[in-house]
Amino acid sequence: MAKKVSNTRLVKATLLALWFTLKNLLRKPVTIQYPLIKRPLPERWRGGTFALTIDPETGEENCIGCKLCEKICPSEIITVEMEKHSGRGWAKSFILDLQACIQCELCVQVCPTDAIVMLHSMETPTTRREDLILDKDKLEANGKLYHAAWATGLKLQRLHEPKKPSVISR
Amino acid sequence: MEERVIEREFGELAINMGPQHPSTHGVFRLELHLRGETVVKVTPHIGYLHRGVEKLSETLEYDMLPPIYERDDYLSPTANSLAFVLAVEKLAGIEVPRRANYLRVITAELQRLASHLVWLGTFGLDLGGSLGGGSTLFLYCFRERERIMDLMETLTGTRFHTNMNQIGGVRYDVYDGFDRDVFKTLDYLEKRISEYKEMLENNPIFLERTKDVGIVPQELAKEVGASGPVLRASGVAYDIRKNKPYSAYQEFNFQVPVGNKGDAYDRYTVRLKEMKESLSIVRQSLGGLPEGPIHSRKPVKTPSLFKTPKGEAYAAVESPRGELGVFLVSDGSSKPYRVKVRSPSFSNIAIIPHILPGHLVADTVSILGSLDPVFGDVDR
Amino acid sequence: MTFAESVSHGAILLGAIIGVVTYLTWVERKFSGRLQSRIGPYLVGRPHGWLQPIADALKLLSKEDITPTKTDRFLFNLAPIWVVVMSLLGFAFLPLTINWVLVNIDLGLLYFSAIGSLIVIGVFIAGWASNNKYALLSALRAAAQIVAYEVPLLLSLLVPAVLAGSLNFQDIILAQEKYWFILFPVVGQISGITFLLAALAEGNRIPFDLSEAESELVAGFNIEYSGMKFAYFYLGEYAHLLAVSILVSILFLGGPLGPLLSGGVWIALKTLIVFLIVLWIRWSFLRLRIDQMMMLNWKVLVPLSLGNLLVAGLWVSLSR
Repeated sequence: MAKKVSNTRLVKATLLALWFTLKNLLRKPVTIQYPLIKRPLPERWRGGTFALTIDPETGEENCIGCKLCEKICPSEIITVEMEKHSGRGWAKSFILDLQACIQCELCVQVCPTDAIVMLHSMETPTTRREDLILDKDKLEANGKLYHAAWATGLKLQRLHEPKKPSVISR
Repeated sequence: MEERVIEREFGELAINMGPQHPSTHGVFRLELHLRGETVVKVTPHIGYLHRGVEKLSETLEYDMLPPIYERDDYLSPTANSLAFVLAVEKLAGIEVPRRANYLRVITAELQRLASHLVWLGTFGLDLGGSLGGGSTLFLYCFRERERIMDLMETLTGTRFHTNMNQIGGVRYDVYDGFDRDVFKTLDYLEKRISEYKEMLENNPIFLERTKDVGIVPQELAKEVGASGPVLRASGVAYDIRKNKPYSAYQEFNFQVPVGNKGDAYDRYTVRLKEMKESLSIVRQSLGGLPEGPIHSRKPVKTPSLFKTPKGEAYAAVESPRGELGVFLVSDGSSKPYRVKVRSPSFSNIAIIPHILPGHLVADTVSILGSLDPVFGDVDR
Repeated sequence: MTFAESVSHGAILLGAIIGVVTYLTWVERKFSGRLQSRIGPYLVGRPHGWLQPIADALKLLSKEDITPTKTDRFLFNLAPIWVVVMSLLGFAFLPLTINWVLVNIDLGLLYFSAIGSLIVIGVFIAGWASNNKYALLSALRAAAQIVAYEVPLLLSLLVPAVLAGSLNFQDIILAQEKYWFILFPVVGQISGITFLLAALAEGNRIPFDLSEAESELVAGFNIEYSGMKFAYFYLGEYAHLLAVSILVSILFLGGPLGPLLSGGVWIALKTLIVFLIVLWIRWSFLRLRIDQMMMLNWKVLVPLSLGNLLVAGLWVSLSR
């Protein structure tokens, strides 16, 4: 602006700054005292850790060892070994290194059987680095601790079908 | 890092605003030569945050790359992945459904709001100090930004690096009541942003610190390749959303604010007006969200089955810092042959050695803050 | 008072001041927290965090005492002691109730400003002896700023002296029995505001804290100090601020005068209000650049306070 701001406006603006901070004094603070109080997580929250699911009807593991999640992970943290018996594939070993996970959820998206899911949990810190390398037992145990997040593989894939209209529900 | 003796003239004080500094907006080394309090020469050193994104892209398949690109300019993630995804779609000739374009616009504008709020907060920190009025402004801006991140959280599941853009569309769709939540947040933000505008607009201390400080002439801005609010504050009305529109921006009605002098105050005004325009764009797009699919490819299974034809393509988006472009060269396989990211902050901070000499030390932080560099973007 | 009496009174006063100053940091953190939509200290001594200053003091005591090489050892160690001693010395002359003052001098006001202006030497020594370019820059700025702002400080200090007719603190308090000096038309308000601004500049408070600027010079002249020496600087700054707040409440707000409550309580209340105003200004404003600060001083504050003093003198001589 070419014109100089008048002095009364300057003084008024100075007092306005003081007034705004004073107004804020009377508002309620926004601090949430974590971990005494935890805020409610939204429904689609995908937390920091993973689980391998088990089919509730048959009691078998869902993972068929197809290695799609291993191929798509950008950080290359999943290692799967496959074995075949009883007419379908199984995962002989499944190692997920949580230290390098960037939480992109691509592994969940490609899984054809909803085997790997992210969990509706907060970040679960550990005290040792070994605890962050999850093997199959730990992954299945995780599934019993928390429930799965909203986005599972088949749900995300159904969202993407070009023929069907978009899925809308909370 | 080479060891080099800093050469200086007699009577100059060579001081390092070193890589670790509260107000260099990241890891950035600025070597200042001072005579008294006036800056005489300045040499910037970058490269402390180089992570090799361009080389990494040559080893990963196309579908795995958007989350990596989100971490480039870490203050506005969807802009980066949008640029990459647009380049691949241009090369492979994939059409994106209209609803996906609208959702891309919504997330991009919300992230622009979040990024400008971070800019305003850290600008206050630079000007006012981490123990003082600046930190008050900083905490207010971050409090408002939490609202935006809450929106992203209820839509996608994570707060910031959401991996929303994919080649061919978007990943998540809206839920019942999304527009109600967004409108509530937008009303709240509009009130607060007007409060900050009133607080700072005629504030004498703010005017003294930013008026006529760091004037960037139009020719210098064009020569160096600056873009975004830095270029627009110097008087050039160039906005990629208007001049070369991408993904549904041509259907919205918004203005592009332009400054006339190019000092720090003009850059502040341009960004504040951009925030208001973003609010209006999100309102328009949510009001007219079309029905339809959100993705135009089959669901991604094996990433190595997606091959692009041989050729090259360039796509640019308007990130909060300027023109962020991705130049993609493909040799017909499922991995890119070469990706070059044109980062806006890299060209913006090239202005510093030209305009800083002659100012006082205290103006250094003012100018650096008003250029708004992000060093993840500069170094990639 | 006998020698033994004054020594014991002095020791009690010293202990009380240090305790009060420590808890002033708690007041600041709580108040600034509420201004910024957050709670201040909370966990240490729930629910209000009132044990936080003690925890801070213990932490600072347990830190390693680092002295960089190639510094001037004697000056490096002298600087914090100097700052603390000069800040605490000013309390000797301030009356804390209507009748009680540790040292009753006729020129109390002059002594106070003389002692207060010696603090800048400590700041400058700290910057020079640190062997650090950032510290040197900030020490130069601090020296220029503090010495320059002495002028409006003294000129606006003299207005209550002129209105009361003496430099003795007791006389100034007694002369405010009818109405406080800040309520004096025009002259009182202008001198009050200029004194507050000059005192903020003297104490390196925002909006004039360019010598401690965290964002440019990363803590300025006390960049090389850690542990208890840093605590001394902090203590000295807050003690000086407390002394200035008491001074403002004595000179302009009537000090211990007031109905119903005793003098000590009134001074405490008024000092608290002035301190909160200083905090409020600190947490609402951005920082001025050094040349803008100097311009504000020489072009605005000095002519204003000089004219103010002349008008006050004229009014007093005409009303006799």
